Amino acid sequence: MNRQEFEKRNARAWTDLDLKLNVLESGNKKVADAEKIPSLYRKVTRDLSLAQYRMFGEKLCDRLNHLAIRSHRVLSAQRGAFGESVIRFTLTTFPQAIRRERKLFLISSLLFWVPFFLMWFSARYEITWVQALLGSEQLANIEGMYGEEETIEHLRQQFGSNFEMFAHYINNNVGIDFRLFAGGIFFGLGTIFFLVYNGLAIGGVVGYVEYAGDPQKLWSFVAGHSSFELLGMIVVGMAGLKLGIGMLSPGQSGWGASLTKAGKEGLPLLIGGSCMTALAAVVEGFWSAQPMPSEIKYAVGITFWVLHVLYFTFVGRGRSEA
Amino acid sequence: MPRPLQRIDTLQTTELAEGVEIHLRTAGPFLRMVAWTLDLAVTIGLLIVFGILSLLIALFSGFENGFERVSSGFMMLAFFTVFWFYPVIFEAGKKGSTWGKRALGLRVVNESGTRITMGQAMVRNFIRGMELILPILPLVAFFHPRFQRLGDLAAGTLVVYARPRVDPVEASPPSLQSVPVQVALTREEQAAILSFRDRNTRWSEARKVELINHLAPLSGKEGPEGLARVLGMARWLEERK
Repeated sequence: MNRQEFEKRNARAWTDLDLKLNVLESGNKKVADAEKIPSLYRKVTRDLSLAQYRMFGEKLCDRLNHLAIRSHRVLSAQRGAFGESVIRFTLTTFPQAIRRERKLFLISSLLFWVPFFLMWFSARYEITWVQALLGSEQLANIEGMYGEEETIEHLRQQFGSNFEMFAHYINNNVGIDFRLFAGGIFFGLGTIFFLVYNGLAIGGVVGYVEYAGDPQKLWSFVAGHSSFELLGMIVVGMAGLKLGIGMLSPGQSGWGASLTKAGKEGLPLLIGGSCMTALAAVVEGFWSAQPMPSEIKYAVGITFWVLHVLYFTFVGRGRSEA
Repeated sequence: MPRPLQRIDTLQTTELAEGVEIHLRTAGPFLRMVAWTLDLAVTIGLLIVFGILSLLIALFSGFENGFERVSSGFMMLAFFTVFWFYPVIFEAGKKGSTWGKRALGLRVVNESGTRITMGQAMVRNFIRGMELILPILPLVAFFHPRFQRLGDLAAGTLVVYARPRVDPVEASPPSLQSVPVQVALTREEQAAILSFRDRNTRWSEARKVELINHLAPLSGKEGPEGLARVLGMARWLEERK
């Protein structure tokens, strides 16, 4: 069979498939004889390999190639219901990913907590380290928030400012998470830098409030959202470290493949961790500054920490991987 | 079917579950830089629009009871969404491309040619932000056979042309003679001769001759005569089947 005959014999099927794909791609779900698409697709793939093998020319091959790609795209576009995948992610994929990467969790935690406590305790002996790190503007800020006179509750009486702070925390903290993750591409150095720096800065704030302000104000403010925010950052740090390891030790699969693997395995950590940070922003914006006895706030904070530990340890155990 | 190890085309060959090979045409770094510049303009435009909206919110709030602060909160959320998620939402969407890429006929796909997930789009776009800090990094794409930058590698994505090639293939007038080929040619070589036949009508006579002189050992002649012989061989190759 020569090319002309081949084209003549199959042109109708090709045009038919082309028209159906046009309808589907324009977003319309109602196509006449949609059930025929898989068999038409198989026909086109057969015709394509035939045309390639018999060298029927680039024009024909390009056309069939494009038809095959488009049908493949349409047929493989199975999307589960959004709600279902959210539930599956929360109950299975995410906590399982954390447990699978225990070691990274430990490393990421240490990268944050060691500088945190170092900076905090350094303030008890020598305050200049903290002063040098935070700078005078930020110190004045801290004194304003956690100083002896005013209270945060005072500053945040209105809905508008709660919302504003919520937006600020989303933009700032979740943005930091994303940079923390992407910084892993510099052989993990970016991630390590952000984790250590955050540990130093947050530890410095705690140390300075102990030195110059009222620590109880600080603790009752941060209690509620601390578990979400700090654990979220550490989890995203794990994803960044994963990228760094992928860059550093390609192993046998080669550099590109190892990076792809690292990205794939780190993805649940990135998504889960930044969702935790976003939740922290909700708590921090609308709960943490409510006028409330600090005992209640401590109790809520401790409850959240315990719930996090339980969640990471037990949820999704024994369930098959999604 | 023997194949030369290093091809100099930009096709990414993928074998599908159906056993057929499809070819994705990957897009080069220059075009993608243009697309990125367009997207930068779109991002700035979107931010200006949201800025105006938040100003309007501030005006209607009447600057009472702290409601004007809703407007600055709105602006921060808008900035966050546009800055981080404009490319993510569009690349994970149905068209698979930001407005800049769409204008240039590009789209982002999986290595098997299908639509990418939200997660993949996040990985490739967030890493781009970092790559731009050290602008040597995106240049990795120049040296990668599939033009993947680090973000693409981490997400497992490719940037490809969304539509088949536009350069027209015109049938040349059939060659008058049919010249038998005396040497056993590989399939690649046969395909090269046939594809030369399909595409040569767009080129100048001098260019055709220049190319065809490389085949002088095969056709035995140089110059226009060699050209005629090679076209005759193309006819022979096709008739033989």
